Amino acid sequence: MGGGSTEHAPNELVACVAAHGEEPEYGFDPMHGWGYHDSGTEPLIQSTILKRDANNTFVNDLATNYTISDDYKTYTVEIRDDVKFSDGSQLTAGDVAFSYNTAKEFGEGADLSSMNNATAEGDTTVVFHLNKSDSTFINKLTDVGIVPEANYNNETYGQNPIGSGPYKLAQWDKGQQFILEKNPDYYGQEPYFDKITNLFLDPDAAFAAVKNGDVDIAEVQLAYANETVPGYHLEYFDSIDVRGISLPTQMNTGKVSEDNITIGNDVTGDPAIREALNIGINREELLEGAFNGFGNVSYNGVASQLPWAFDSTFEDGKVDEAKAILAEAGWNDTDGDGILEKNGTKASFSVYYNSKATERQAIAVAVSEQAKELGIEITPVGGSWDDIDPNKYSQGVVWGFGSADPYEIEHQYDSRVACVGYDNPEALNDSSVDSLIDSAMVQDVNGSYSTWSQAAQQATSNYPFLWVGTVDYAYFVSDSLDISNSTHLIYPHGGDIWGNIYDWARINATAK
Amino acid sequence: MSELPWYNRGLFSNLNLRQKTILTIALTGLILLIIFISGLLTNANLPTDFSIKMQPPSFQHLFGTDWMGRDMFTRTIKGLSLSIMIGLVSSILSSIIATILAFIASTNKFCDEFVSWLIDLFASIPHILLIMMISIGFGKGAFGVMMAVAFSHWVNLTRVLRAEVLQINTSEYVALSKRFGKSKLWIAKEHILPLVLSQIFVGTLLVFPHAIMHESSVTFLGFGLSPHEPAIGIILSESMTYLAMGAWWLAFFPGLALLIVVLLFDIIGDNLKRLFDPSEANN
Repeated sequence: MGGGSTEHAPNELVACVAAHGEEPEYGFDPMHGWGYHDSGTEPLIQSTILKRDANNTFVNDLATNYTISDDYKTYTVEIRDDVKFSDGSQLTAGDVAFSYNTAKEFGEGADLSSMNNATAEGDTTVVFHLNKSDSTFINKLTDVGIVPEANYNNETYGQNPIGSGPYKLAQWDKGQQFILEKNPDYYGQEPYFDKITNLFLDPDAAFAAVKNGDVDIAEVQLAYANETVPGYHLEYFDSIDVRGISLPTQMNTGKVSEDNITIGNDVTGDPAIREALNIGINREELLEGAFNGFGNVSYNGVASQLPWAFDSTFEDGKVDEAKAILAEAGWNDTDGDGILEKNGTKASFSVYYNSKATERQAIAVAVSEQAKELGIEITPVGGSWDDIDPNKYSQGVVWGFGSADPYEIEHQYDSRVACVGYDNPEALNDSSVDSLIDSAMVQDVNGSYSTWSQAAQQATSNYPFLWVGTVDYAYFVSDSLDISNSTHLIYPHGGDIWGNIYDWARINATAK
Repeated sequence: MSELPWYNRGLFSNLNLRQKTILTIALTGLILLIIFISGLLTNANLPTDFSIKMQPPSFQHLFGTDWMGRDMFTRTIKGLSLSIMIGLVSSILSSIIATILAFIASTNKFCDEFVSWLIDLFASIPHILLIMMISIGFGKGAFGVMMAVAFSHWVNLTRVLRAEVLQINTSEYVALSKRFGKSKLWIAKEHILPLVLSQIFVGTLLVFPHAIMHESSVTFLGFGLSPHEPAIGIILSESMTYLAMGAWWLAFFPGLALLIVVLLFDIIGDNLKRLFDPSEANN
């Protein structure tokens, strides 16, 4: 890349941001997960039924009104009748139903497991039929971008998406960039920028692009967050994207999951080990190191921005207390090697992390370091998910979670989904958690938050995870760009910054 | 004789060439041994200390510190030690493979053609590709890398040994032994092996630098080891992220150290060759 800044018109935006920093493998196809990551993100090219606003409340996108049946099994949505796809055809209820049914069939994006099917009644009414009472289903109405039923081709749609969102895909150079142009027929608030070019760059190349002045905004690794670049300022946002280490709650009795993966661990199966780790680790110090200080401590995996957040019942950094708990449970260092034993079992286990994620690596290594003080030996192991999967139910794993949908609690702690895919990998089996989840599912979504909170609290009292903290997202933003900090949506796991693109503007066009 | 090179002046001037060669070998060997052993002795998990992260070189931290506050000098030594170990095991293994194949080739014409075909096959696949495939096949990890390097570096030595064995096989004393009714195994053990032993030694040592370079390239590409483990390739690939921030020491010192270690092995190999093969001593 040459020096100097690239010339472009004030109403053109050059960015280097993307969910998880990665290019969508199947292109811009919501049926393959575009616009979704743990909860709905702005798909830009497509519309969704509902959106979230900066206060995390639901606002209409395609919807004009919706009603929910008393048993939370039927959701009826009225949609706008004035929306056109970018190919000129009318967006109808049939397209909405088709999109949801197809997304469920593919199962690559939103979790639509509680939906039986969606049907269109006339051109503007969609009815979602659920197979169980699920008051969280309202969240799913933000998760799926709507594609046209006619001409939808699973193979090619990702490269040539037709949608009704604020932008149209103009060009996609795989491995390099995509270019979006404003959709003149968009029914909602018109965004300022006519054209968005988003580059796919490696972390170091992204930072170099900032230094060269080639981009207006770039998402950077937290390692770069303390750098200063003239003409740019750092913006960083709290997220609900939390990192934690799962601690298998069951003993290893030879039990295996459906896909034949060992469940349980004789060390973390002892509640004393899990409690000692939770209160003995110093999270503040971990964040300072692993996230460069750009994060918030989390004791229970529920970020403070969420309506079901609760205060921790314990404090951390208490090495002596943790040691006392271990001693009381019968863990003693009998052979003097600094690692505790109980009945001949060494307090030793592995923590797997995805080797692509440096912050997960730092968490695994730093936790292992701190655990040494408690007499617990943790061996960090880095690898791809293929390496992690055979160990995900029997060893610690550094996970990332964070959804604005409380249904995530079910995924994390419900014993009925234990050890299925990435659900409840710690095999927590607490019937009171399960029944709290059940009762939350039949309450109005706003009223249910306190029940969800109780479920999470009950689960946390078993110390099934060693939660560490939420990670901030950091951006270098050109001084000529206003990304409207007051209207940002909350950041789920794998979220992106496009949620309030409608409010972005060039503030000083001559600066660039 | 005023143009005496530096090593023929002063302290070592009264040593003859043979003594000097041995001295060179011993000294370089000692340095490598020290690196290897000190790497083995340091704790497997390097202590992280976030309060001293990304510090430039100083007297406390000769090579500076990385993003987790680990001392880069220790990390480099540990990485080199791992490289040497992988190099050692894999070059010995590849020499064993080479020797066995060379002897198999000498048994009959069919075997000879088979071994030649095998050599051509392996030589035609790029090393790095072969290493990646084999290391994945062996389940990654240090073991996978070791096996991968071993199974891809026997080619050159096999070629040399095969020619050597063929030549010895045509000699009169071999023919005589055959007529005396000695078995092929006996001939191989008593006549051929002693003669090619020096070739095997030198060959093993000359594989070493290649093995180390290839080990660091595969770990650079992310194959094999966890990214928190100290291997030179991992250290170098990690440093790429921080070069843009001006942390030159993360790449410079480990890279230089790798270069020096490879050179040291090359020096030992060359000198041993002279020692074992006097006809080359004048070169």
